[in-house]
Amino acid sequence: MSERLLPMGGARKCYAQGMNDAGAGPAIATAGLTKSYSGVDALSDLSLTVERGSIYGFLGPNGAGKTTTIRLLMGFIEPTRGRAQMFGRDTWRDGVQARSHVGYLVQSEALFPELSGEDQLRFAEKLSGRGAPLQDRLLDVLELSRADLKRKLKTYSKGMRQKLALIAAAQHDPELLMLDEPTDGLDPLIQRAFESHLLDRHAAGRTIFMSSHDLGEVDRLCQTVAIVRAGRLVQEATIQALRSQHRRRAEVVLSTPLPPGVAIPGAEVLSAEGRMLKLLVDLDPNPLLGFLAELPVESITIAPPSLSDIFAEYYVQESARP
Amino acid sequence: MTAVWTLLTQLLRRCRGGLIAMTIGLFAFEFIQPVAIDAFGNLDQLISIMDLVPKPFLALMNVTPEVVEQVGLPGFLALGFTHPVYHLLVSAVIIWIAARSLAGEMESGQVQVALARPVSRRQFYLARVLAVTLIAFWVSTVAALGNIVGIAYSKPDGTMDTWHFVPQIGASLLLALTIGGVALLVSSRADRMGQAVGWTAGFLIVSYVIDYFATLWAFLKPIQPFSVFDYYDPPVALAHGTIPGTNALVLGGIAALCTIAGYAIFERRDLPN
Repeated sequence: MSERLLPMGGARKCYAQGMNDAGAGPAIATAGLTKSYSGVDALSDLSLTVERGSIYGFLGPNGAGKTTTIRLLMGFIEPTRGRAQMFGRDTWRDGVQARSHVGYLVQSEALFPELSGEDQLRFAEKLSGRGAPLQDRLLDVLELSRADLKRKLKTYSKGMRQKLALIAAAQHDPELLMLDEPTDGLDPLIQRAFESHLLDRHAAGRTIFMSSHDLGEVDRLCQTVAIVRAGRLVQEATIQALRSQHRRRAEVVLSTPLPPGVAIPGAEVLSAEGRMLKLLVDLDPNPLLGFLAELPVESITIAPPSLSDIFAEYYVQESARP
Repeated sequence: MTAVWTLLTQLLRRCRGGLIAMTIGLFAFEFIQPVAIDAFGNLDQLISIMDLVPKPFLALMNVTPEVVEQVGLPGFLALGFTHPVYHLLVSAVIIWIAARSLAGEMESGQVQVALARPVSRRQFYLARVLAVTLIAFWVSTVAALGNIVGIAYSKPDGTMDTWHFVPQIGASLLLALTIGGVALLVSSRADRMGQAVGWTAGFLIVSYVIDYFATLWAFLKPIQPFSVFDYYDPPVALAHGTIPGTNALVLGGIAALCTIAGYAIFERRDLPN
């Protein structure tokens, strides 16, 4: 069991002792969380901790187990083994309490087409029981007007439905925002505006747990990421730590082309066209720098690995494993 | 209870279009029953015509000419509550509301809108049970009102105690709740609305067929108690103003057991993707 997981009833005890009304413990903690269907593990032995006040990215290709994890956290499905807690409360046995400080982004297709946007938000507000202090702000950020809200959802475009789903998830200013592909269908300007809103909520101490295929967005927002593949956690680290563990990209322009067949130490050659070399630099750059010092270098650019580089590298490594 | 109220009102609001259409249809169908009876002039003429109607045709309406003749006008009015069209309208609205609000919402993912919030599955299910109960009461009452207004309009031959419509509402309510209970049970297990509608409709058709053939063929009498329609007796309610205790017990018991079993399944099940 994860040491951050509280025993049953632990959250209630801390609450009685006057801790934050969102209960005790980290925002999310799972220990050995497993979900099997007909004996096949969709998620296997997942143990992770999402600290309060962090922005946590949950990454993986389709079918990796991201959605299964989120559904387990939301209490939509029962774990086969292991446990999951939000704010110290078990998400299956004590689901109502666990979800009382959570804002979850439902798929926009799951909203009610026969109701107006206004009715959907009012419904969400009543059920959350916390009012909608951020509704006006979110309408502004996402550029959805009050007149739009009067219309029935079946007249909305995909992007408008996504905006409404985001407002319904976040309008009550929850302690934890659980977002699965939050900016899917939004235009880039609105996407950036919503990212700013998330950073603002983060600054106010809120926790954000997000899954996204847009790695640029994850890179801009998240401090920590977990990467899952085939139902298993393959990495959990801060983005900074991930960057330091992965090879950087370098572009070198020489005055004269490198003779063919010359081995370059400390780097993998991605391409060599004329005087331009594209390299993947080993973690220790000194052998490469020593080699380049002997060559007529016109310019050199070394960039830290992007999250997509890191992500891709994980998948290449994982795929190569027997 | 606030969450249950919110869920219930939202559900009824979403279904109001279909409910209004069904209400008009049911009211109109029941309204024309006394008008049609009156068109024959007097009950004796109607009785003589009924004697000519083949038994298998009358069995479709779950009545025998003897009963109808014995009880007079209430017996003829009961035809409006045993007619296949009546069963079709009531079953359609009850199955629709139960299947759409449970299996349908699981299929579309709409269930997550409520269950992602501090709402328990018990509250969610209770709102569905209340909706089915309210609508069952509503359709039973609307049908009776249609009949009452039709009587007032056409003034058919014979006597009818208007208060006897109260037990008739009770009998219709019990049958509708039984259908609702079965629909909730099936919906709580199903992943798709079509499955829930199909299985519940199948149950009712088999039940109706058993009752129909058991009325015609004596050798099938022993299996007639396995049909829910065997416990639904509008001629008795309208003529005598009572609901037989066994009928109330059996239909009420099936409704309660199915509803509770449905909850037990829904509480523990994984929601579909």
